[in-house]
Amino acid sequence: MKRALIGGIGNVLLGDDGVGPYVVRVLESEYSFGDNVEIADLGTPALDLVHRIVGLHTVILVDCVASDDSPGTVRLYRKADIVRATPVQRLDPHSPALSECLMSADMLGASPENVLLVGIVGRSYEPGCELSQAMRSAVRKAIRRILQELDEYAFAYRKKPVPDEPGIWWSEPRALTPAIAND
Amino acid sequence: MSNRITIDPITRIEGHLRIDVEVENNAVSNAWASCTMWRGIEKILRGRDPRDAWLFTQRFCGVCTTVHAMASVRSVEDALKLEIPLNAQYIRNLILIAHALHDHIVHFYQLSALDWVDVMQIPKADPASTSKLAESLSPWTRNSRNELKAAQDRVNAVAASGQLGIFANGYWGHPAMRLSPDVNLLAFSHYVQALEYQRKALQVVGILGSKTPHIQNLTVGGVANAIDLDSANALNMEKLEMIRVLLDEVVQFVQQVYFVDVCAVAAMYPEWFKIGSGVTNYLAVPDLPLDSKGSSYDLPGGYIHSGDLAGVKGFQTAADPIFRQSVGEDVTHAYYQGEKPLHPWVGETEPAFTGWTADQKYSWVKAPRYNNEPAQVGPLAQVLVGCAQGHPLTKKYAGLAIEKVAAIGGVHATPAALHSTLGRHAARAIRACMLAELAQKHWQLLVDNISKGDYTVHNQPVLPSHEVKGVGTHEAPRGTLSHWIVIEDEKIKNYQAVVPSTWNASPRDHSGAHGPYEASLLHTPLAKPDEPLEVLRTVHSFDPCMACACHAFDPSGRKIGVAKIL
Repeated sequence: MKRALIGGIGNVLLGDDGVGPYVVRVLESEYSFGDNVEIADLGTPALDLVHRIVGLHTVILVDCVASDDSPGTVRLYRKADIVRATPVQRLDPHSPALSECLMSADMLGASPENVLLVGIVGRSYEPGCELSQAMRSAVRKAIRRILQELDEYAFAYRKKPVPDEPGIWWSEPRALTPAIAND
Repeated sequence: MSNRITIDPITRIEGHLRIDVEVENNAVSNAWASCTMWRGIEKILRGRDPRDAWLFTQRFCGVCTTVHAMASVRSVEDALKLEIPLNAQYIRNLILIAHALHDHIVHFYQLSALDWVDVMQIPKADPASTSKLAESLSPWTRNSRNELKAAQDRVNAVAASGQLGIFANGYWGHPAMRLSPDVNLLAFSHYVQALEYQRKALQVVGILGSKTPHIQNLTVGGVANAIDLDSANALNMEKLEMIRVLLDEVVQFVQQVYFVDVCAVAAMYPEWFKIGSGVTNYLAVPDLPLDSKGSSYDLPGGYIHSGDLAGVKGFQTAADPIFRQSVGEDVTHAYYQGEKPLHPWVGETEPAFTGWTADQKYSWVKAPRYNNEPAQVGPLAQVLVGCAQGHPLTKKYAGLAIEKVAAIGGVHATPAALHSTLGRHAARAIRACMLAELAQKHWQLLVDNISKGDYTVHNQPVLPSHEVKGVGTHEAPRGTLSHWIVIEDEKIKNYQAVVPSTWNASPRDHSGAHGPYEASLLHTPLAKPDEPLEVLRTVHSFDPCMACACHAFDPSGRKIGVAKIL
C-alpha cells in the first residue's frame, strides 16, 4: 500500500517559523486519515528527516520559506526545486537541509516518488509563540493545497463532523499541566 | 601578511556556526567562533507554570529535543527537592542513553567521517580485499564482499550520474586525505549502515517516549508511562522485549563497527593526536542516576583544571554545590547588554547587536565560564574526568581503544594524546561503548524492579508560594547541559539554559581568553588554505550544534562564502 507523510516543519518558539507545526495540527483536528497517512509535527528535524521519508510514496511538508513575496504567500516546491540547492559544508547537525535529506534517501534507493513542499513566506522570526496575522490567514490555503495533493494520489481522508481542539499548546495562555496529566 | 578565511554556510535562515580563522604561513594564527542568530528563547518561559517548561524547552533545538526536556524537569524537581521513583529514573536513563547512541553514531558517520574518508577514491577499491581487511579488524557480520560491493555500486552510480548529489561539496582529493581506497570503501559502507542503526536507537526513544522527535512521557516528578505487563496500552513485556532487541543491535554496531572505525582512522592519521588541543580545563556532570534521591550515578562528573588529571575535583552528585557556585556567563564579546559575568540564576538576555567586529562583540553565544575560565565539555571531558577518578567502566574502554589503535597502526597513544582533535573522536567512541553496556544494564534494572511488583512512576510535585531555585543537569551527547530555574508564586521568574555548545563555541571573555573551538584551532597546519579541511576536522570533532533556532527553508540554496579569503 502506498504511504504518505504530512509533516509540519519549524520551531514553534520562533514566531512565524512555527507555521508548519500549526498547519498540521489544525489539519489533524479537522480531518481523519487512513492508516497509510501519517501526520507529524516534526519540529526542526535536520538529518532525522531521512528516516521519516524513506520508502514513502508521497511526502508533503509544510514549512516557512524565505522569499521576496509578501508574508503569507503560499509557494509550492517539488523535489527538483529543492535538490537544486547544492549542499554546502556541514558545520553542525542542523545544516543538512531538506535537499540533503532527499539526496540521502536517493542514495539509499528509497526516495519518495512525490514530494511537495508547501512553503509559506514568513515575516518575523523573533522569539515568541504567536504567528503573525499574515501567516494565520495562509493556513486555510495551505490546508486546501495539502488535501488537493492527497486527492491527486488517491489518499483517503474525511472531514470530522465536529473538529477536535487543534492542540496548539504553545500559544495557549492557560496552564497546560492539568490537561497533560489526563492525557 | 595574513589571510582571513570565513566558513559561514547558509542553506537555511537559522542560527548557525560561523568560524573565522586568520592564516599565516599555512597555519592558523587566530580564530573566532560565532553564532549568527539571536536566541533569547528563554524569555518565553517567564510567567509560565514550571511544570510545563519542559514542553517548551524541548523545542529549543530540533536535534537535541529530549535533552532539553530532561534538564528542564530535573531543574524543577531540584527546586522542589522531589524524589523520582526508580522506574522513572531507569526509563529516563534508557531514553537518554538511546538518544546519545543515536547522536554519537550520526555525528561520526554522517557529520564528520567524510572529513577523513575520500568518497571519490571508492571506485578504485577492491571489495574482496576490503572484506578481508574488515574481517581482520572486527567480528561484524556485515562486512561481506557483497555488502561492500553494494556500497561501492552506490558511489559508482552517484559518480556516473555526473551529479554528485549529497557528495557535491566534499574536499575530495585533498592532500590531507590519506586512506587507501579499500579503507575508504569500508568506512563508507558503515556510513550507509549507520543510517539503519541510528534509526533503531531512535525507535527505542519512540517506544518509551510515545513519540519522536518530541517525547511525550515526561512529567515533573517522574514519567507518564503506565506500567502493566498484561495491558496492550501500557509498558508491557512485549514492548520491553522490543526495546531489548533494538538495543542489542545498536550495542553490537557501536562496539564492533563505530569503535573499530574510529580506532582505525586514529591509527591512520596519528598526527591528529597532536593537533587541536586548545582549552584543557574539562567539565562534566554525573548522570544516569541509580537511586531515587540521585545520590549515585553510572557516569562520573568532575572538573579538571589545566590538564591536571591528578588534581581532578569530582562531583559526587548532580547537586554538587561547588559546581553550582562556579558557573557564570560573560558577555564582553557577545551581542548582549551587561558588564560583568552573571550567575545563571540572575542571568539576563538583553540583546545589543553591533555586527561582527574582531576585537569587540562578534557572537550571539554567551561565554560560559567555570571559576572565570573557559572549560571544554563533551565526551572527552567525561572520559578524562572518569579516567582521572579511576572510574572502572571508563578505564575499561579507554584501555581497549589504546590497544586497538596500537594493534591497527602500531601507534602508541598516551593519555596526553587525548587532548586533541582525534582525542575527541576517540573519547566519543569510548563513551558510546560505555553507554552501550549501560543500556543493557539499565534495561535489566528496569525489568528487575518491575518484576518485584513496583509499578510506581511518578511523585506528585507541590509548588510552594515562596521563591525556590533549582538546577537540572544532564551530561548530553555534546557535554554538560544545565537549566537554571527560579520559581516564585508557582510561576517561572527566571530561566537560563547553559548548553554544551555555548561552553565549547563561546567567544572570548573579558580577559581575552579564547573559547574551546577558537583555542583548538590555533597553530593548525593547512595544506591548502582555500580548502580548509583541517579547520573542519577540528571543529567537527566537538560535534557542534549551534542552531537551536529558526529553520525557514531557503529555496535558492544561496551560500555565503564557504571559504572566503579576505
